[in-house]
Amino acid sequence: MRAPAPRYATNDGIIDVATAALGDMLLDAQDKVGEVSLTVDRDRLVIAMEALRDTPGLKYEMLAEIAGVDYPERPERFDVVYHLLSMTRNHRIRVRVTTDEERPVPSVTGIWYNAGWLEREVYDMYGVLFTGNADLRRILTDYGFRGHPLRKDFPLTGYVEMRYSEEAKRVVYEPVKLAQDFRTFDFMSPWEGAEYVLPGDEKAAQPKPAAGQAPGAQSPVTADQVTRAHDSEKKAEPNAPEVKTTEHTGQTGAGKPHPGNLSHEKPVDPDVPSPDAKASSAENK
Amino acid sequence: MADYDPQIDAANPTPGDVEIQNYTINFGPQHPAAHGVLRLVTELDGEIIERIDPHVGLLHRGTEKLIEYKTYAQALPYMDRLDYCSPLCMEHSYVLAVEKLLDIEVPLRAQYLRVFFAELTRICNHMLNLGSHVMDVGAMTPNLWMFEIREDCMGFFERMSGARMHHNYLRPGGVHQDVPLKLLTDIAEWLDTRLPRLFGDAISLVAENRIFKQRNVDIAIVSREDAVRWGFSGPMIRGAGIPWDIRKAQPYDAYDRVEFDVPVGTRGDCYDRFMVRVEEVWQSARIMKQCLAQMPEGPIASDDRKVVPPKRAEMKQSMEALIHHFKLYTEGYHVPAGEVYVATESPKGEFGIYMVSDGSNKPYRVKIRPTAFSHLQAMDFMSKGHMLADITAILGAMDIVFGECDR
Amino acid sequence: MGVELTTPPHGFGAGNAAGVPVQAPDQGFFNDLNGELTDKGFLVTSTEDLFQWARTGSLWWMTFGLACCAVEMIHVNMPRYDMERFGAAPRASPRQSDVMIVAGTLCNKMAPALRRVYDQMSEPKYVISMGSCANGGGYYHYSYSVVRGCDRVVPVDIYVPGCPPTAEALLYGVMQLQRKIRRSGSIER
Repeated sequence: MRAPAPRYATNDGIIDVATAALGDMLLDAQDKVGEVSLTVDRDRLVIAMEALRDTPGLKYEMLAEIAGVDYPERPERFDVVYHLLSMTRNHRIRVRVTTDEERPVPSVTGIWYNAGWLEREVYDMYGVLFTGNADLRRILTDYGFRGHPLRKDFPLTGYVEMRYSEEAKRVVYEPVKLAQDFRTFDFMSPWEGAEYVLPGDEKAAQPKPAAGQAPGAQSPVTADQVTRAHDSEKKAEPNAPEVKTTEHTGQTGAGKPHPGNLSHEKPVDPDVPSPDAKASSAENK
Repeated sequence: MADYDPQIDAANPTPGDVEIQNYTINFGPQHPAAHGVLRLVTELDGEIIERIDPHVGLLHRGTEKLIEYKTYAQALPYMDRLDYCSPLCMEHSYVLAVEKLLDIEVPLRAQYLRVFFAELTRICNHMLNLGSHVMDVGAMTPNLWMFEIREDCMGFFERMSGARMHHNYLRPGGVHQDVPLKLLTDIAEWLDTRLPRLFGDAISLVAENRIFKQRNVDIAIVSREDAVRWGFSGPMIRGAGIPWDIRKAQPYDAYDRVEFDVPVGTRGDCYDRFMVRVEEVWQSARIMKQCLAQMPEGPIASDDRKVVPPKRAEMKQSMEALIHHFKLYTEGYHVPAGEVYVATESPKGEFGIYMVSDGSNKPYRVKIRPTAFSHLQAMDFMSKGHMLADITAILGAMDIVFGECDR
Repeated sequence: MGVELTTPPHGFGAGNAAGVPVQAPDQGFFNDLNGELTDKGFLVTSTEDLFQWARTGSLWWMTFGLACCAVEMIHVNMPRYDMERFGAAPRASPRQSDVMIVAGTLCNKMAPALRRVYDQMSEPKYVISMGSCANGGGYYHYSYSVVRGCDRVVPVDIYVPGCPPTAEALLYGVMQLQRKIRRSGSIER
């Protein structure tokens, strides 16, 4: 590893010890980017975690973090990722279970007390259910929030926004209305297979209309493009432009004789006492 | 009273003295001692705390969701705004995570600069926390002096990056700009003169103060086993007596090249946590002095052109540099697919970034491991049986900032 | 406009009917004032001037620190900037405060509390929106959980831009609020 990231004890042999300790509960084990990831069976998560905590040679005593990840294209779309830390062996490990919206994950609150809030957060953000967590309420989002915001199909700006209603005399939620849409750019190069149509290219994909169209067939011409018979019955107009006159200042372009910037017409700046302050204040009243 | 029983009443001539029902008070979300927007639903028996249910999320800004829509470079400033008392340490975890996925080297001078300013941030953070902790338990003067130190620090940060608080100074591959020599010498002088005088004076007012000790000693004692099971980190776990410091145990950047001691508490109460932070300030000053002595000359960012943008002077000369600059600031760099969990020792504890990349220019998922989450969760267990007035001391010794807790 | 008792001869309220504030005092001003006081034993001014002077001179602000800006809001009260020079002192109780500084990102969960605190404040009350998040959502504008500007919830008098605004900027914002009170001064707000 060339990057100056935190350096802890070596990963060598961890997977072997974990395989021996977990047996068939271990579904997959990887050592990538200098970190060990184990995928374990969801239903036996608690037993597996206890084994990871208590087996000599593993001894992951502390739960650092529980994170959810959403992969909508998978049948079991959610990953619940546990990061464990062994302070005695100075090593970190990642344990992963997969689940979906309905199948619950066993809670590890019995092993680590701090799992309570972390599981609440995963539930709040992704809607993953945990059996055995006695206090599975929402934690971060608003009271009465609907949806699970970190799912990939939840829009960034959400569905509702808040304002104070003068009629109801309280803050109310209403559907989100943005003055300017969130600008998001796709930086995939068109040569690398972008999956969108560039502006102007949409015509290229359309089938061309047949040369001689059958009467009554669907026309590619829209209604406002059609020339009708009475369009030619326009009033005759003189070809010459409007006769140029200079009867008022608007036509000469000279502007008003008094554009309102005389000294007594200016708004009073109270911080700058002017000699004619008396006069202007009288006018302001 | 629902369970009113006349027989018990007859046996007990003064029922009012025993039959006090528990009552619930709501602390916050707007309370000056809550250090932000914390709401504590507290169940009291008289003045004894029976149960506390902290409600967090009042500053939930959706940072993790927003990061998924930004390129790696655009997401970096969100880190500053997480823990706004120690912005640079938040950036530190993030850039280390990106670097680990990219697998790029960082020049030594950049590593020293990061460590140097991360430690200055630690001093700055502890000034805020120690000062407000002291103020929450009733003393005013030390806070005023410590904020003078903070003002000095902010002046230095402004000279470093142009911003007083949200620096956006670290970059994957190094730091944004080199610092002027005069700034380093000024900080060196400040470390020798002003910091010991102001901080030493301020601490001398409270460290042995009888009132301060009465408010903090033996309040919220946490044993070592509990500290581990509740997932404590930083000064909280060191206050409980476990010498665990990620800077020491899992050194990152140039932390393995400097010497420092890890202070630990003996009783695990609020006073220990306070004194651990006090000692950490002195250790930070020690690390900074070593950084100044050891810091080599040289580049301040990696020479990987696909990650680190070229300098402006180079762009005026070279077309290649101009193209690289344009690409890096519009599209950004693509990070290889993979996942990492990088945790660093922020002033408040273990601050981790779990980053999942799918190989594009935007992170697929960034999970922030806040320090305050596990600490605040233990609020109920720590304050059970204490008096209502101890809440402020316990909260002050926890050092919670809601930008990071709620994200 | 306020009730004008009499036109003062000079000094404190001279030429002040439209709310023109006091100039930088010179020695002659003090001598005049002193002379008048020793001569008559009282001073005469307009109630409007008196009210404006009272309002601008002791703007107690409600500490409504929400996020990052709160740190700068604390800094402006600390010895370096010392906002109490301008009579603006922090006050934790909404009932007794005059101005609320909304410092930081206002999130949906916090908005009812903000409005409640604002409703509890007694008239005349002012709001300073501090930082880009409070002004219009800022960096978090497109988030699902952020109110896009605190002016959707409370009426705002002064916007202080910045992320976060420096302590000087907030100080300037408070001075702008004092100026605004002087300009639009009346008994009823």
